[in-house]
Amino acid sequence: MTLRAWPWLVAVLALLLPASALPQSMTLCRAKPELLDLGNSLPASRKAIAERKQLRIIALGSSSTSGYGVSNPAYAYPAQLKMGLDKALPGIDVDVINRGIGGQDVEEMAARMQAEMKENPASLVVWQTGTNAAIRQMPLAKFERWLRNGLALGKSLGADFVLMNLQYVPAVVAAPDKEAYEKIMAAAAKEYDAGLFRRFDIMRGWYQDGMPYAQFVQLDGLHLNDFGQKCIGKLLTRSILNSLNGP
Amino acid sequence: MAVHPVIASGRDIRLDLFRGLALWFIFVDHIPTNVVSWFTVRNYGFSDATEIFVFISGYTAVIAYARMMQREGWVRAAARVYRRVWQLYVAHILLFMAFTAQIIWVSIARDMPSLIDEMELMGLGENPYRAILAAALLQFRPVNLDVLPLYIVLLAAFPFVLPAVLRWPFAVIAVSLALYAATCHFDWNLPAYPAGKVWYFNPLAWQVVFYVGTACAVLGPEIAWLDRYRWPLCLLAVLYLCFAAFIALSWHYNALQEMTPAWLARQIYPIDKTNIDILRFLHFLAVAWLVRVLVPADTAFLRWPVFHPLRRCGEQSLLIFCIGTFLALSAQIVVSYFEESLLSQIVVSVAGILVMCAAAYVATWFKSGGSAGSGRTPSTAEAVP
Repeated sequence: MTLRAWPWLVAVLALLLPASALPQSMTLCRAKPELLDLGNSLPASRKAIAERKQLRIIALGSSSTSGYGVSNPAYAYPAQLKMGLDKALPGIDVDVINRGIGGQDVEEMAARMQAEMKENPASLVVWQTGTNAAIRQMPLAKFERWLRNGLALGKSLGADFVLMNLQYVPAVVAAPDKEAYEKIMAAAAKEYDAGLFRRFDIMRGWYQDGMPYAQFVQLDGLHLNDFGQKCIGKLLTRSILNSLNGP
Repeated sequence: MAVHPVIASGRDIRLDLFRGLALWFIFVDHIPTNVVSWFTVRNYGFSDATEIFVFISGYTAVIAYARMMQREGWVRAAARVYRRVWQLYVAHILLFMAFTAQIIWVSIARDMPSLIDEMELMGLGENPYRAILAAALLQFRPVNLDVLPLYIVLLAAFPFVLPAVLRWPFAVIAVSLALYAATCHFDWNLPAYPAGKVWYFNPLAWQVVFYVGTACAVLGPEIAWLDRYRWPLCLLAVLYLCFAAFIALSWHYNALQEMTPAWLARQIYPIDKTNIDILRFLHFLAVAWLVRVLVPADTAFLRWPVFHPLRRCGEQSLLIFCIGTFLALSAQIVVSYFEESLLSQIVVSVAGILVMCAAAYVATWFKSGGSAGSGRTPSTAEAVP
């Protein structure tokens, strides 16, 4: 029985074998230009670059920031951001401090905001959040309150902020209110004069262009894989440079 | 209370064969862009080679040490287990060394300082003294060096479970499941380096695979009581595997993705690997059940010469695992050098597997020469997990 099954097994495998493996090449890494507009001119960062030739960034977030499951921590978006900015801003001392802690939610990050910024005085905070809240269905009012608390506190310490919203992955797409969390983040960014990096829309664009999830998501259906992280890092770098060089 | 009469004599060659296969899969899957990984289990379901490796490790641990304990006492058996733990530890540290050295060598030889920068980002360059201390404590495990530390922790606890699992295998399964459930619920894990990180393979959760493996080894033929439900169980397993295959393939084909109902997606995602999601574990159990039914230990084709290299790799699992992890990094560098060409993917995969097989044959040859003088009993030496 098993012996006769072999030809079948081979046939099925051959049928399933796609034309090629998932490439790591960044030629697939794209986004519509309007999605790379943070909507903020990052004044504190500009000032630090102009006066001190220095740009200090804190990447505050959960598992995407800490680089869960990537095959090399250098692929996590904060490391990619550092490499990209180093290349684009010669002569400027760029530092990206990774403060991603897997599993954390908006309230834990808002709570450590002050300590993080005291320990590493930065001109720019990239705050990645929303995903864990959406998949755990944190009440919207609570999410909004903590997000605003964190932003108010952070802004009062004088740094620019960029909010990075949810990732477009099966676990988030299945969450019922994901758009509501997105809206709350967009409104809070506007109100507190923070930039918004629209990761959700960017990644949705990948999917709608026919890119399979396996190209940019780990097999757990939640975390970005090597390609996803590198591409987000690259697009975030481009957005931040657009803001710094814009009017 | 009767102690189970452990393990009929004669080696179950399925263990070596499937462990060898798992080692090949781990190598092939560790090359990030690799068309050959379409021949491995992970693209057709939730579980991957890690489950196979950990389960068989638990199973063989009982085979290797249970009889020793019954004949020579617990102390001797525990000492033997810890000698093995020490070997695993030494292998892990050596692999860490070799792995790091390979990255440094490539970046110097090819004049690619970016690779060294990447090392720095792993946490090695920033504070090398701390990193080396953390590596010695198994807290710092860059890239793919996560599996051996898991195995070390699981095996280090094994002597304390061994007497219990021989008497009360079902109780051990129950305790193991309870610990697994509590770990998932309370989000327990062990600390890792750099600060704030946790173990990628959480030993408190993954122990469930290992100890269910030990209990299966103890139950052995007794598990035949399940045969009363043979066909219903087979049907369930097949249905579940089809479901898992559908979901796994939907990650590659958006058309299938669209067909997944939202309520279902809400139930299954995320499919956690750190705490081995229950979907993954069930998937492995379904595979294991079908293998048990379809491939009995005395199946003729298991002894075909074609499978001989697989069995040899499975027998030398520690060596082959280390070589595979090391070569996966080399393969990754080669594939990226050739701009991810399909041919380079296939060539490095085949070449890597050939090197692993050659190493397994050489190691077997060494062992067959060495054991004659050392006075070790071949049966135990051979069955070491």
